[in-house]
Amino acid sequence: MDPSLRIVPTSLPKSASIAQTSNSLGLHDTLRYGPRTIATEVKTEGDLKDRLQNWEETQDNLKLTIMRNTYGLHAPMRLLMERRIVSANPHMPVLPQSNLQLDILMGRDESIEAADVFAGPLNGPPLDIRQDMEKKYRI
Amino acid sequence: MDHIDMHRLKQGEVNLGTSIMAVQFDGGVVIGADSRTTTGSYIANRVTDKLTFLHDRIYCCRSGSAADTQAIADFGHYYLQMQAQTLGSAPAVLTAAAIMEKMCYQNKDQLSAGIIVAGWDKKTGPSVYNIPLGGGLFRQPWAIGGSGSTYVYGYCDATYQEGWGKDETVNFVKNTLTLAMSRDGSSGGCIRMCVITEDGVERKFIPGNELPKFWEGKEVLGEATQKALAAISAVSDVAPMAVEV
Repeated sequence: MDPSLRIVPTSLPKSASIAQTSNSLGLHDTLRYGPRTIATEVKTEGDLKDRLQNWEETQDNLKLTIMRNTYGLHAPMRLLMERRIVSANPHMPVLPQSNLQLDILMGRDESIEAADVFAGPLNGPPLDIRQDMEKKYRI
Repeated sequence: MDHIDMHRLKQGEVNLGTSIMAVQFDGGVVIGADSRTTTGSYIANRVTDKLTFLHDRIYCCRSGSAADTQAIADFGHYYLQMQAQTLGSAPAVLTAAAIMEKMCYQNKDQLSAGIIVAGWDKKTGPSVYNIPLGGGLFRQPWAIGGSGSTYVYGYCDATYQEGWGKDETVNFVKNTLTLAMSRDGSSGGCIRMCVITEDGVERKFIPGNELPKFWEGKEVLGEATQKALAAISAVSDVAPMAVEV
């Protein structure tokens, strides 16, 4: 949890820059850092994607920060602890999962979203679970 | 450009181009605002209520982007409710102002919001806090804000006196807002005021046709040409070609 009162997600610029990779002549040092790509230095995508992806997390963080400021550090800590306990799922990750306890804690138990309607694997039931697990854990 | 530029969305957004003010007097505060919300040159709402409830004796006046100020006021109200609940008594105006200021400052790159927080509390009595664009907090005996405020700084400096009672303060607010509304294109409509004292909050509404009248202009040019025309026709007996009525 980041103790910040941000209402909307920040749009961070790309962190790579010529200032960090330059040699004594002021050019990019290819020998040390590899070939230079502009894609790592210039922001090519708009802010909208990051904003939408981080939206719920930012709003949640704001509420946790308000709780921290009002009640003390223990309040968000307990909530986050409960969420973590409930997310510890002993089932195989590759099988379809639904975590009702987590939905209740996050306040999502009484709403239906597009993700709930279109849930489910794209390719039908998994044929080889062990292979999927190996892929997932990169063994 | 393939992707949406979020900063472009700020232009032409629904705007509370405004005149807001708050003045402290002996037993309370008077806050007032105009009632116009614009989207570009279209008036989206001509009877807006810019005086937002934060707590029983604490209100805030909003200016700047309508969406930004509503979001801040909502979160400020939520935050203040939790604080007041934990505290067990009515919160101080400084508490409410500090909460609004924290939100404004930490989000300063995304917001365009100027807020005035004013109210009454048991410890300090009446107080007015101005939170301009960058997110600073300034306590003042009177504060004006919004685009219309720039036109009335002189009037306020010249007119304000300490030690006024409620009626004189209400009059001061009414006159200032009228002058601001008549010069600023983004302010207008009617005046909404709240008088906040220990005993309660009294809302006042002054419709646009009951505003005090100040200098409304005089067609000076027309008069001069009328005199000249009369002189010519008296002397030469020739009817003038064009008469400006």
